[in-house]
Amino acid sequence: MADTVVEVRDLYYSYNSQLVLRGINLEIKKGEIVAIMGENGAGKTTLIKHFNGLLKPKRGIVEVFGVDTREASVAELSRKVGLVFQNPDHQLFAETVEKEVEFALRNFGFEEETIKKRVDWALNLMGLARYRHRSPFTLSIGERKRLAIASILCYDPELIIFDEPTAGQDFLQKERIAELLNLLRTRGKTVVVVTHDVEFVVTRFKRVIVMSRGEIIGDGDIRDVLSNPEILKKAKLVPPQIVKCAWLLSDLGVPKNIIYPEELIEKIKSILGAPYG
Amino acid sequence: MDSILEGFKFKRKNTLIHNLDPRAKSVYLVLSFISALLFIEPVPLVIIFLTSIPLVAIAKAFREWSRSMKGLLFFIIFIFVLNLFSAAENRVNYAFSMVFRFLALTSAFSVFFLTTTPDDFMSALEKLGLPTEYTLMFTMSMRFVPTLARDLQVIVDAQKCRGLELEKGNLIRKVKNYVPILIPLIIYEIRRSIMIAEALESRAFGALKRTTSYTELKFKPRDYAFIAVVLAFFGALIYLKITGLMPEWMKVKLPEIP
Repeated sequence: MADTVVEVRDLYYSYNSQLVLRGINLEIKKGEIVAIMGENGAGKTTLIKHFNGLLKPKRGIVEVFGVDTREASVAELSRKVGLVFQNPDHQLFAETVEKEVEFALRNFGFEEETIKKRVDWALNLMGLARYRHRSPFTLSIGERKRLAIASILCYDPELIIFDEPTAGQDFLQKERIAELLNLLRTRGKTVVVVTHDVEFVVTRFKRVIVMSRGEIIGDGDIRDVLSNPEILKKAKLVPPQIVKCAWLLSDLGVPKNIIYPEELIEKIKSILGAPYG
Repeated sequence: MDSILEGFKFKRKNTLIHNLDPRAKSVYLVLSFISALLFIEPVPLVIIFLTSIPLVAIAKAFREWSRSMKGLLFFIIFIFVLNLFSAAENRVNYAFSMVFRFLALTSAFSVFFLTTTPDDFMSALEKLGLPTEYTLMFTMSMRFVPTLARDLQVIVDAQKCRGLELEKGNLIRKVKNYVPILIPLIIYEIRRSIMIAEALESRAFGALKRTTSYTELKFKPRDYAFIAVVLAFFGALIYLKITGLMPEWMKVKLPEIP
């Protein structure tokens, strides 16, 4: 289908002889913002590395923008698929922040004028414009992380994948990342985010994929997935706080699948009746 | 890359070679090292290389060893071609010798590191009188080889995602392509080493000049027997070379290409 960005059919992958992905099936449509969750070693990073061809399926098919990833190089796929790695220190090397962002643009053969515009745009977007002539290595970890994001966003890929963008970030940085997700949504981009941060997912996403031991054990609306005790237990995820409250209050008649604070308050008010309801 | 490293990574097994004292094994390592550098003739170099095979067989590490040897194929071809074109005379003979010198050296190191735990190796070095700082430095550098390989892979992946093509272009371009790989790797490892140093110091490393060891190395009869066999074999080889008494069959040269 034309609006399918990623299609994975019966994907198996193993490192040496250890099976890390078993029978993965999923479809991500254009404009979707999807979270992938699961315990350490569940296969999340292995899965997303298939989306830009860094890893090729041992069995099954991965199609990205209708292209079989086995038939395209990483560089070809990367033009449309941006992958932001978890640790910015694995990629920063240039003399200045500006040159760091230019790197991908030059590799993809953009015109000089476009490069300048894109660099300005990406640095402004990530709040790094004032550091443009500084060495990336003098930035704080939060700034380095934002620089790594800017160095991917600059070439405007259609599908953007973030590996643990909120790990080690304070509240303000998380808010910035959330704002960025919103911006990407309004620009019609497709976004995949790998994260452990349940609260971040519950407030910012509509769809979540939960993995455990190389399999997808839950895929759908966050309300159905993140309030399902079996899925949460299997994936060793802590339920969102509101879900936990709803479970504790279920004896009073609060439904167990409440995920937003406003919903919970409304429900409690209606149970308490006048003068609250 | 992984397959080469696998041949130098300790795997716990209960075999005669694994249980030998690391000092006894290092006698073999040092003697095969010296004789590999001493000889230039292909036959003795092949013999030195072949000495590692029975050891690998006894250590039941043939799979790891052969994988690392296969992984070295690129270097073998490189050494062969380089020497073939650079030698003045007897070029095939010389290139062949250099390949087997390389194989003899790597194979001996492979046998040693496949069967010796870094801890044992450290104790052995300390027994030889090296200060703890140096032995730790040595064993840590061994311990971090796989970590370094993993970091390298992540960095290569990250730069590929930003459109870096490592295989394309002429030689200068290819060398330049490694800048975005090597700079993050070096800086990352420096940062890591600072963290490790801090972690070590916070666990009181360096508080005592001379540390005690959890395991005490002791020579057993089998270690003496092993050293005796190794000394006899390599001693004889080195003796023949130094005195010039090498039999004719050891001096056989490979025919030259016209």
